[in-house]
Amino acid sequence: MRRLWQQEAAFKGAALYLMLLLVLVLLLPWLPLSYAPNQLDLAHTLQAPFEGTATAAHWLGTDDLGRDVLSNILYGARTAFFISVPVMALSTLLGLVLGTSAGYFGAMGLRTSRKNLLLLVCTLLLLCYYGLYLPLQIQRLGLGVQMIFESLSVCIVLPMLLYGILKALYPYTPFLRASVAVPVDPAVLRLTEALSTIPRFVLILVLASFLPPSVLLLSLIIVLTLWTGTARLARAEMMRIKQLPYFEAAQSIGLNGRQLIWRQALPNLLGPVLVAFTFGLGGLLALESTLSFFNIGVPSTLVSWGRMIAKVRSNTSAWWLVVFPGAILSLTILALYTCNHYLSKIFQEKSTG
Amino acid sequence: MGPYILKRVLWAIPALWGLATAVFLLSRLLPGTFGTEQILQREGAYFSKGSETDRKAAYREYVARTGQDLPLFYLSVNPKSQASAITPHLTSSDNAQEQLEKLSWRYGSPAHAQAYIARVEALEKSFETSADELFRAKLALLRTNDHIAPLQQTVKEIIAIAPQPQVRAAAAKVLTALQNLKQQQQPLAFLLPQWTWHGTNNQYHQWLLRALQGNLGESYSSSRSVTAILLEAIGNTWWLLLCSMLVTLVIALEGSVMMAQKRGNLLRKFLLPLLFLLDSIPPFVLALLLLVLLANPDFLQLFPVYGMGYYMPQKLSLWQELMQWSYYMALPALCLVLFNLPYLTSQVYNAITAAMQADYTRTARAKGLSEAAIVRSHVLRNSLLPIITILSDFLPALVTGTFIVETIFAIPGIGRLLIESVLSRDYPVLTGIVLVVAIFRIASYIVADVAYAWADPRIKQKMR
Repeated sequence: MRRLWQQEAAFKGAALYLMLLLVLVLLLPWLPLSYAPNQLDLAHTLQAPFEGTATAAHWLGTDDLGRDVLSNILYGARTAFFISVPVMALSTLLGLVLGTSAGYFGAMGLRTSRKNLLLLVCTLLLLCYYGLYLPLQIQRLGLGVQMIFESLSVCIVLPMLLYGILKALYPYTPFLRASVAVPVDPAVLRLTEALSTIPRFVLILVLASFLPPSVLLLSLIIVLTLWTGTARLARAEMMRIKQLPYFEAAQSIGLNGRQLIWRQALPNLLGPVLVAFTFGLGGLLALESTLSFFNIGVPSTLVSWGRMIAKVRSNTSAWWLVVFPGAILSLTILALYTCNHYLSKIFQEKSTG
Repeated sequence: MGPYILKRVLWAIPALWGLATAVFLLSRLLPGTFGTEQILQREGAYFSKGSETDRKAAYREYVARTGQDLPLFYLSVNPKSQASAITPHLTSSDNAQEQLEKLSWRYGSPAHAQAYIARVEALEKSFETSADELFRAKLALLRTNDHIAPLQQTVKEIIAIAPQPQVRAAAAKVLTALQNLKQQQQPLAFLLPQWTWHGTNNQYHQWLLRALQGNLGESYSSSRSVTAILLEAIGNTWWLLLCSMLVTLVIALEGSVMMAQKRGNLLRKFLLPLLFLLDSIPPFVLALLLLVLLANPDFLQLFPVYGMGYYMPQKLSLWQELMQWSYYMALPALCLVLFNLPYLTSQVYNAITAAMQADYTRTARAKGLSEAAIVRSHVLRNSLLPIITILSDFLPALVTGTFIVETIFAIPGIGRLLIESVLSRDYPVLTGIVLVVAIFRIASYIVADVAYAWADPRIKQKMR
């Protein structure tokens, strides 16, 4: 990493730019900006950049409602990062967990007793009904907290009861004791295939149309559709690592599954996953601004680059509305891709020797 | 080859069925459709003078017409106390329906709650002339509250102060209904799930039957047949997509071939960073930049801004029509080419450079073939396989680009239709679009398989 920093000027530039942007985004609420991003200055609508007077200094111009472009760009960066980084982190985590377990266990590797499997399935069903469906309905009807509390306590008590019964029955029923294989790998593969039947952008649009516009729900949708890439990568890497001599040696000295995955496999997995993370982050920034450009899935009060750029569609002569936010957006993505390029180079060198 | 393709097509059917089912059920499980937004919202009805009740009546008529009042699926799971699960809309108004729902959930007996609602309606009617201010407030409480104690209290007050005997009699009946509700209450009944079997008279069954006959229903927003809307949109998208794909492919192949040769060194140094830069500009920013630069009276008015051409009274010749079409499609097609060029070129370039280092290329060079002949007849032919894979994976990227381009340049194609139906929550159209996109995807995989067989005879052997 240090060698890269010293030798490659492009990497240094990109990393510096990203760090600067990150610091700016974090310190933004304490910066002395003369206009808030959603503040309307109806006396100076569609003002061209660098034409501001001393009283109305909109350095980068304003949109058709008089919102300042500069502060919208800065706060837009904040929104973009605050959405993209956690979403990407969560989806990477989900993909890493599913992909690693698929690669490690395969189709037959994970065995458990019928008792545990039955308990898991029943608990999930109960959780869906008493933990999710009923509380939502009660909330919709406005029936009060007490009924939600009752529903949730049923959701906790019933699985415990079931656990007790199954545990009591366990020694006497051979049916419950029989061990079955959980097909982790086929399940993850099928799920990935199902999610990639239609293009991800279409999938996100369709899912977003089912839900009310909210940043949290949209992030959830993106996390649930984005993990497949990381999962595929982690699965392939895990299957490669499983064949390596050091891993076989670790297996032969009798380490258990947790030690094998955490101490032996994960440190080797993290490199490629980091590369995928920076690449995915760039794509996610583009996706987030595209969605807010179309005003799909996000409330229209959300300050974002896409919303600012969308204003140019009604006034095509207001070039500053697309040039400045577009430039910052493209530069950020370019910086991420550049870092990604050099990082993937290092890890390739490492893995080939 | 034939049986293989048939097998692939047959395998695609369950996948399509599953996808359509998932989209259908998800779209209807979650609340908020086109109808609720358009008809019930006050802002939507700004110019109409209709009152709240008129709007609700219109909404109910609309729901019944589009079949949305039927149960969703063959089977439903509901709390035992839910009244609407048994018979929807038993009461006269939505307020009464809501109170009925709340009382049934809270006290666990829909039949008694319904009896109470009927008694309250009878009580209202028993005030022959309209009730005065004092009673109106009490009646409003009787119609909205969902706790027994305050309801009983209010009815007792009405009995105490009402002058007319028939009102007192009706109020006494309300009181007995409340007593019954209180005696028969099962406060935790809402925790018991109840399974209801609806038979074939449900939304899903009827939708599936119609879909199998090729009828995807009617659009919520325009009431036109979804199939007709889709065919029209695909017709508009198809040529744009095909033209831009061909141009991109030719540029990517030619560019990669030139870059892979020795004299392409300078070109490579210049082109690869440019493509890298182009790749990091999001499609919608690029499209808008081109729009602002090239179709704008302030800068360069080279291309028309929006649409697909204008209406001419006389019939144009084919050539004129083609000229007009290409004039309007030039900028959108340019955008699509620019979006897809970086990825495609880098992939093709990698495939070709890999083939340039292969043994057969060295052999061809050793036997004295010219560089051009090596590239054309040995390298390109051998790097066809990865290129086919890239092309079949490339379709979704192309589709994504189309959405953005069509929306920005106002071309009435499938992408714009998708964005519009997402914004207006027009689920029949949305389901149709998802099906069309999935069919295209599957078709492109099958075509890719056929192309593999054509490119590599060894694969043809395996496909038997």
